[in-house]
Amino acid sequence: MKGIPTVLITVSPEVSAQMRPPRALYPNGFKIGNSLGKPGMRELQQKVLRDALLLLKENTRPGTIVTQDYPEYGEYHEPPRVRK
Amino acid sequence: MTISRKCVPFTPFEGELDRATIAIVTAGGVHLREQDPFNIADELGDLSYRVIPEEVDTKQLVVTHHHYDHSDADEDVNVVFPIDVLRDLQALGFIHGIARKHVGYMGYTMQLKAMYEGTAPQIANEIDKGSRADAVVLTGG
Repeated sequence: MKGIPTVLITVSPEVSAQMRPPRALYPNGFKIGNSLGKPGMRELQQKVLRDALLLLKENTRPGTIVTQDYPEYGEYHEPPRVRK
Repeated sequence: MTISRKCVPFTPFEGELDRATIAIVTAGGVHLREQDPFNIADELGDLSYRVIPEEVDTKQLVVTHHHYDHSDADEDVNVVFPIDVLRDLQALGFIHGIARKHVGYMGYTMQLKAMYEGTAPQIANEIDKGSRADAVVLTGG
């Protein structure tokens, strides 16, 4: 096995950062259970998935998480924090 | 915050997205209705995973997970397992194909070593052998 490129969509960026994912997208303020957005918001879901897939092509620094705003989500939820 | 001391397992993506076949691996507890549900009674978590076929109808998918509110995923599983969204992107020509196999597991465990050394390589192997995926989208809940 030579390895498989991956990209993570996370709604718990601090928790995910502990595992240092090779590529990751955090849709800013999305709640747990809404990784791609809300039910039926297909255009938003497409946008989030497209942005995540584009990270495969971008020269991101492995282990970092890219935060992206999606105002159409319409809510902001504080992500879970990791006790330091 | 404790950062993993393991190196970042970075695999370069070579090629173009519009030539790529994509798989989904979700920790959101997604599986086929006909498959055994994850064992939420085990306080240590369930280390097993379920293979979800390419042609799955989202009506066949259910969520078994007791560590997040999956009521939205019950209504539209694409919020954690975006298989229809992937199909949209394929129809738009943004990606080339949908992998033959996708994977759901329950992303909660007190058995980290077994998850890391057992389940994770098994899932990677499942994707590597026969899914034809060029890249994987990972989601949590």
